[in-house]
Amino acid sequence: MGMFDSVSSVALNSALDGLALRQRVIANNVANIQTPGYQAQRVSFEDELSQAVTRGSGAVTAQVARSLEPTREDGNNVNLDTETLLNVDTNLRYQLATQAISGQFSSVRTALRTS
Amino acid sequence: MTIFGAIGVASTGLTVHRKWLDAVSDNLANVSTVRATSEDAFRQKYVVAQEMADGGGVQVAGIVEGSAEGRLVYEPDNPLADEQGYVRYPDIDMSSQMTQLIMAQRGYQANAAVVDRAKETYAAALQIGR
Repeated sequence: MGMFDSVSSVALNSALDGLALRQRVIANNVANIQTPGYQAQRVSFEDELSQAVTRGSGAVTAQVARSLEPTREDGNNVNLDTETLLNVDTNLRYQLATQAISGQFSSVRTALRTS
Repeated sequence: MTIFGAIGVASTGLTVHRKWLDAVSDNLANVSTVRATSEDAFRQKYVVAQEMADGGGVQVAGIVEGSAEGRLVYEPDNPLADEQGYVRYPDIDMSSQMTQLIMAQRGYQANAAVVDRAKETYAAALQIGR
């Protein structure tokens, strides 16, 4: 197993990809907040990721689905409160994941310095 | 997907909402634009938003114009008045325009907030390995 192929590295990579996609999808939802007939999109990868990690792999692809929440009169179901909360939540999760990856790199760096 | 995609998507939202603001302010500016009865009244503009393909954001699908009929007002002193003393005013509903103004403004602010948060996220990504 290579240095950066460990389950945790791959899982963190999948998490970063999924969170970045979610951030983009939230941007799309907010951009379409007044578009008649637009249904909000949701990104899911967490459940799959935890199952993958249990199986001993960490690679998952995030899935995008339309939200089935009730729509407004114009057929749009974007809720600004939900999107704002998700946006902040995703941002913090992303920062957490980047810190975890940086932590792994710093362990490797420590190993490289030891002689 | 380009690098920093979320900022690009939010900027399409900013653009659409700014165009909406432009249309509303144009409508409000022309709320008292008088025309002769032989001409069309000033037609109010509605911005029609449309989702872009592949989650690329939002775009203006087109501008729909309101009624050319307007409303006839009796103003015999007006140099544009016809023989009966009528001129044509645009049929713009002030309260609807003000509501739209606030909706467009809030939509713009929401998209600007998304840009801010996306910027934070990407800044965190740039710190990996530091």
